[in-house]
Amino acid sequence: MRSKSVFCDGIERRSFLRVGSAGLFGTMWTLPALLQQNAAAAKNSIDRSKDDRSLIIVFLRGGLSTIDTWDLKPNAPSEFRGDFDPIPTNVPGIQIGEHTPRVAQQLDKFSLIRSFTHGNSNHGPADHYMLTGYRPVAGFNAGLTPNNQRPSHGSIIARKLGPRGSVPPYVCVPDMHPSCGASYLGATCAPFSINADPNDPGFTVRDIVPPLDLDPSRFGSRRALLAQVDRFQRGAESRANTKAKTVSVFRQKAFDLMTSPATKKAFDIHSEDDKLRDEYGRNSLGQSCLMARRLVETGVRCVTIHHVDWDTHDNNFVTLKRDLLPHLDGAMATLLRDLSDRGLLKKTIVMVTGEFGRTPRINKNAGRDHWGPGFTVAIGGGGIQGGRVVGNSNERAEKPAENPYRPEDLAATLHHLLGINPNEVFYTADNRPVRIVNDGRVIEELI
Amino acid sequence: MVLLVAIGLMPRACPAESDSRIVGFTVEPESVVLVGPDSLRGLLVHGQREDGRTVDLTHQVSYRSTLSDYFTVNRHGVVEAVADGTGDVEIVFGERTVSVPVQVEKVTVPHGYHFENDIIPVLSKYGCNFSGCHGKAEGQNGFKLSVFGFDAKADYDALVKQGRGRRTFPAAAGRSLLLTKASGFMPHGGGIRIIEDSREYKVLKGWIAAGAPFGDADAPLVVRIAISPHERIVDTNASQQLRVIARYSNGRELDVTSIAKYQSNNDGLAAVDAMGMVRIGKVAGQVAVMANFNGAVDTFQALIPRKQRIDNYPAAAEHNFIDRLVHAKLKKLNIIPSAMADDAEFMRRAYISIVGTLPTAEEARSFLADAEPEKHRRLVNQLLERPEYADYWALKWADMLRVDRQALGHKTAYQYYGWIRQSLAENKPLDRFARDILTLSGPTSGAPQVSFYSVVGGPNQLASTVSQVFLGVRIECAQCHHHPFDRWSQADYYGMTAFFQQVSRKGTPRGEVMLAEGDPETKHPRTGAKIYAHALGTEMPEKSPEGDRREVLADWMTSPDNRWFARNAANRIWAQFMGRGLVEPVDDFRDTNPPSNPELLDALAQYLVEHDFDVKELIRAITASHTYQRSSQPNETNEQDEQNYSRALLKRMDAEVLFDAVSQVTGIDEKFRGVPYGYRAIQLWDSEVDHYFLKLFGRSTRKTVCVCERSDEPTVGQVLHVLNSSEIHAKLAHEAGQVTRLVNANKSDADVVDSLYLTFFARMPNSDEKSTALNYFKTTDSGRRAAAEDLAWSLMNSLEFVFNH
Repeated sequence: MRSKSVFCDGIERRSFLRVGSAGLFGTMWTLPALLQQNAAAAKNSIDRSKDDRSLIIVFLRGGLSTIDTWDLKPNAPSEFRGDFDPIPTNVPGIQIGEHTPRVAQQLDKFSLIRSFTHGNSNHGPADHYMLTGYRPVAGFNAGLTPNNQRPSHGSIIARKLGPRGSVPPYVCVPDMHPSCGASYLGATCAPFSINADPNDPGFTVRDIVPPLDLDPSRFGSRRALLAQVDRFQRGAESRANTKAKTVSVFRQKAFDLMTSPATKKAFDIHSEDDKLRDEYGRNSLGQSCLMARRLVETGVRCVTIHHVDWDTHDNNFVTLKRDLLPHLDGAMATLLRDLSDRGLLKKTIVMVTGEFGRTPRINKNAGRDHWGPGFTVAIGGGGIQGGRVVGNSNERAEKPAENPYRPEDLAATLHHLLGINPNEVFYTADNRPVRIVNDGRVIEELI
Repeated sequence: MVLLVAIGLMPRACPAESDSRIVGFTVEPESVVLVGPDSLRGLLVHGQREDGRTVDLTHQVSYRSTLSDYFTVNRHGVVEAVADGTGDVEIVFGERTVSVPVQVEKVTVPHGYHFENDIIPVLSKYGCNFSGCHGKAEGQNGFKLSVFGFDAKADYDALVKQGRGRRTFPAAAGRSLLLTKASGFMPHGGGIRIIEDSREYKVLKGWIAAGAPFGDADAPLVVRIAISPHERIVDTNASQQLRVIARYSNGRELDVTSIAKYQSNNDGLAAVDAMGMVRIGKVAGQVAVMANFNGAVDTFQALIPRKQRIDNYPAAAEHNFIDRLVHAKLKKLNIIPSAMADDAEFMRRAYISIVGTLPTAEEARSFLADAEPEKHRRLVNQLLERPEYADYWALKWADMLRVDRQALGHKTAYQYYGWIRQSLAENKPLDRFARDILTLSGPTSGAPQVSFYSVVGGPNQLASTVSQVFLGVRIECAQCHHHPFDRWSQADYYGMTAFFQQVSRKGTPRGEVMLAEGDPETKHPRTGAKIYAHALGTEMPEKSPEGDRREVLADWMTSPDNRWFARNAANRIWAQFMGRGLVEPVDDFRDTNPPSNPELLDALAQYLVEHDFDVKELIRAITASHTYQRSSQPNETNEQDEQNYSRALLKRMDAEVLFDAVSQVTGIDEKFRGVPYGYRAIQLWDSEVDHYFLKLFGRSTRKTVCVCERSDEPTVGQVLHVLNSSEIHAKLAHEAGQVTRLVNANKSDADVVDSLYLTFFARMPNSDEKSTALNYFKTTDSGRRAAAEDLAWSLMNSLEFVFNH
C-alpha cells in the first residue's frame, strides 16, 4: 500500500492523457479535437436539470406479439384475432390482453404507442433500428457482436451524460444484445455486460472483484506495478493499434468498476428481500428487471435487458400463455410498482418492446411471424405520462391507422427526456457528422 | 522533371504548397453529344499540378454556356439537353478557359421508355427494392419487388398489373400510388423517397404517362459501366467527383452518375455520397469506391499518400520479392517502414504465428544466446516440424471446414478433425487437400472428409461453401438474385451448384458409398432455362461434363492459372502472419474489394504455385522477409498505417492460443472435458467444449464458414477476467506452479525476475524494468513469493502478453 498515493495520482493523469491523445477510435481523438468537442458540448448543452434520469429498456428479442398483449382486436376475423380476450385496466377505457392482469393494474404508470411502425421484418436490421434509431445500411452484418453501424441508445447516453457516481453508465443484463455496441463512440461508451443470469441461485458478476484469497492490499500494489511494467500501453504501440488501444481503455473501465463499492452492492441481488424477489418472478426476466432497478438506484443511466425466445412462429398462444406472458406480467408490473414506490419512476423511463411485432394473420402453425409494419411500444416513467394510448392501429392491427411513429421518433423522445439534444452531431471515424437522432420528432402526446 | 530533381535536393518533408500550383487543366469528355429528351452528361475537370499530379477541379471551375437555348450547364458541370442545336461550354479556371463543344439531337423524339433500363434503376437508387423494404421475400404492405430488381418481369407485373391498377395510372400519372407514396403525397411507411420535381420523379411520371410500357424485348441492355477516373493518387482531405458511364449493347453510352449506387470499401479512408462525390479522409492508404448500376459494377481506386513527402527516402534492405513489393507501395505513400525487430521479438512472434504456442523460458534463452547468423531461418524450420504446427493449423482449418460436433456427432467429428490434422502434419499440398475433399467418391468408411458433405448440406450450400473456403468468393447472394457488389449472376451460382448435383450417398451391405453419377438437370430458378456445370467466370458449355463433374471443377480450381485458388490460400496465410489480409475480409474477394497491394498478392500466389502448393514453403518465404520481421514500434510516418505492412501490427492472440499461453507461463495445465489431462486448447477438436475463457475470448462456433465467426474484439469482460478470475489466480499461485517453483529454487531475486520475463515475454528485462521489479521485491511487505506472483500477474495483464507483436 506504500505506493498507493503515487499510483492514484498517476492513474488519474494518465487516464486523462489516454482519452486525450491515445484516443478511442480511429485517429480523430487528438487532444485538440477533444477540447474542441468539449467546447462544442458546451454549445449543445445538456439539460442538467434532468441529470437524475435513467432509462431501462426491456428488450423482448424475437418480437413481442402486441396484437395479443397491448392492442387486441376482438372484433377482427378469427384468422387475425387470436385466442386471447381483452381485460379492463386500472385506466378506464383502456384494455389489454388477459394474460398480463398485473400489468393491467399498473397501466396508469405507462402508456401504449399503438401506431408504432418501422416496416422492417428481419431480425438483425430491425433490432439495430430499435436499439439505435437508425435503419442499418449496406454492409450490415447482423452476425457480428457488436454489429452496430450507429451507437446504441445506451452508448449515446454514456457518452453524453457520462457516469453518475462510481457505477458504469451503461449496463447490459444478463448479457449484451449484439446491437448494444458503441460504434464510433468508441470503447468508453460500450456497455458493461454482466454475463450472468440474476435468476441463477449462485449469481455473481464474474471477475469484478479480485480473488477472495488475495490480500486486498496487494491489489493496489499490483495495479501500480502493472502501470510500470506495461510498456506498450505507455508507448506508441497502444496508440497505433486500434485493438490495443481499446484494451487500454477497457482496463481503466475495469479498474473503475472494481473499485466501486456501489457497484458491488448493486450486483448483490441476494441481499434483496425474498418476498420482493418472488413478486418480480423467479425467472430470468423477473430477476433481470429487479437487477435493473437496483442498478438504476445506484446511478446507472441505462440498463438494457436482453430477453430472448419471443420469436413465436409456432404455437404462439400456448407459449405466450404458459411461459412468456406470466413472466412478463410479474416482471413488468413489479418493476413499475417498485420504481414508483421508491420515487424512482418519475426519473426512470421504462420501455418494453421487441424488435417488431408479429403478423396479425395467424399462420398455419398457430403462430405469428415477423411484423415490422405495425406494432405497439409500451413506455412509461421519466417524464412520460401514464395511462395514455398514443395513435391507433387499423382494424386488424396491421399498420398504424393514425399518427404513425417510428424508431427515430422514439429515439428523439428518449434523448429529449434524458436531457440530450437529439439534433446534436457526433463524428464518425472518418469525420462524417451524424446526428444523434435521424430526423425524429419528439412524441409530444406522451409528455 | 527538372522541377522534381530540384525538389529532390530539398530537405525532407517539404511543405506541399510549393508545388501544388495548378499549371493547366483538361476536360473530360472533349466534346458532348446529347441524344433524346432529358439527356445529360457530367463533365470532369482534371487539373495538372506543378508536381505532375492530376487533381479534381470539377467543383472549383466555373461553367458558362454559349447559346444557352440548346442546353444548360450547372455549377457541378452537368450539361442537360434543352433543344436541338450546337454550342460550347466554357470552363474557366483562373485565367485559363477551355471550350467543350456540345451537340444536342432528337430532343423532340419521344422517349422510348424501357422498364429494366429506366425504371428499375430508380427503384434501386432509392432503396425501394432492398431487402429491408419491398424487396424482401414477403414484400412490404402487400407490394413486393424483386430484391435489387433482378426479376424485371415480376416487378413490372407488381407495378402495372397488381394493386388494382392504382400503382400506375396512365390517365393521371401524377396520381399513381407509385408517385404519391414515394413523394410523400400519401402516407408511406418508407417516408419521402423521391422528391416531386426531381429528375427521377419525372422519369417515373413520364414512363407512366407513356402508358407504363415494358419496353422492347430486344432493347439494348447495360453491358458494362465505367467509372472515371479509374484510379488516381489523391491528397488526404481532398475530394474527387466520379462520373459513371453505362455502355449498352447497341454501343450507346449514358451518364448514370446520379442514378448509380456507391460504396467505399474503407469508410475510414474515403466516404462517398449518392452523387458520386468521394471525400478522402486524413489517413494514408489505398481505398476502392464501387459503383453499381443495373447489375454492372466498376471501381475507382485511390492511393492516398501521406501529406508530408519524403524526398530522401531511405533505401531499405530487401530480402525477397515480398519486401520489394511492399517497399514500392510504401514509397508511393510516403511511409517509411519501422526498424527491424530484435531477436526476442522475432522469436516470440514466430512461435505464436507458426505453432500458436509461446516459447518457454529455456527456448527463449537458448535462441537469444545462439550466435549463428542463420538462426532465424533455422528456428522457422524447427517450428514447422513441431507437432504443434499441425495442431494449430488444424484448429484454423477445423473452423473453416466446420468440425461441428453438434451437427456431426462425437465420433464422426473427431475422425473428420483427425483427417484434417493428419493432412497438415504430412504437409499435404493444398491442391491435393482440396481435391481429396472435392472429388471424394466410393466407400466413405476410410474417408472422414465425407463429413464436409454432411455438415455443409445440399448442392447449393456446397457450391457456396466451396467458393468461400477455397476461392475466397462469396456467391450465396446469387442464389436468389444478381450479386449486388459483384458480377455473379444466378447462372453463375447454379453453374457451380450443378457440379454437386450428381452427389449422393447410398448404404450398401459393405457400408456407405458416395456416388457422383447420372446427368441430373439444374435449372435457373427464375427463367427455368437449363444450366450446365461451369465454374465461376467461365463460359457455360453446351452440356455438363461427362462422368463425375467434380473432377472437372477440381481440375479447374487447382490449375496453376486459376485466378482465385492460389490467391485465396496465399491471402489467408499472409493474414495469419501479418494480422491483416491483402484482401480484407480474407473470404471476400470481389472485383469491387480489390487487394491493397495486388502485385504482392499475385506474387505470393505465384510463389505458392511454383512450389506445388507447399504451404510450409510459403511460410518460409513470408517469415524470412524483412516485412515480417519489422518491429511493432511505429515511427512518425507509419503511426496511422494499419493497412500497408509498414510495421508489425499487434494481433490479439486467438482464444485458444492465449489460454494455452496462460497455462504455459503459470506451469499449470488445464483439464478440458472429453480429452485427457495435458491436452492444450489448440488441440481441442471440438469448439463447443464448455470453457468460459475460450468463449469469452471469441473462439469460433463453426456454424458457418465465415472467418468472422472467430472474434478478436476486446471486451471489458476479457480484461476483468485476466485481472481477477479465480481460475487464473489459482494457476498463478499454485503450489506446483511456475512462480512458486522459481521462488523455491532459491534463486536470487534478479534470477527470478529474469526468468519471469523470459517466461512471459520471451525476452530479458531491460535495466529499468529490472530495477523496478527488484525494487518491488525489496519493498513489498507480503514476502518474496507474493512479490513474484504480483510481478507475474502484472506481466500477464500487459498488452505485451495478450498481443502477438
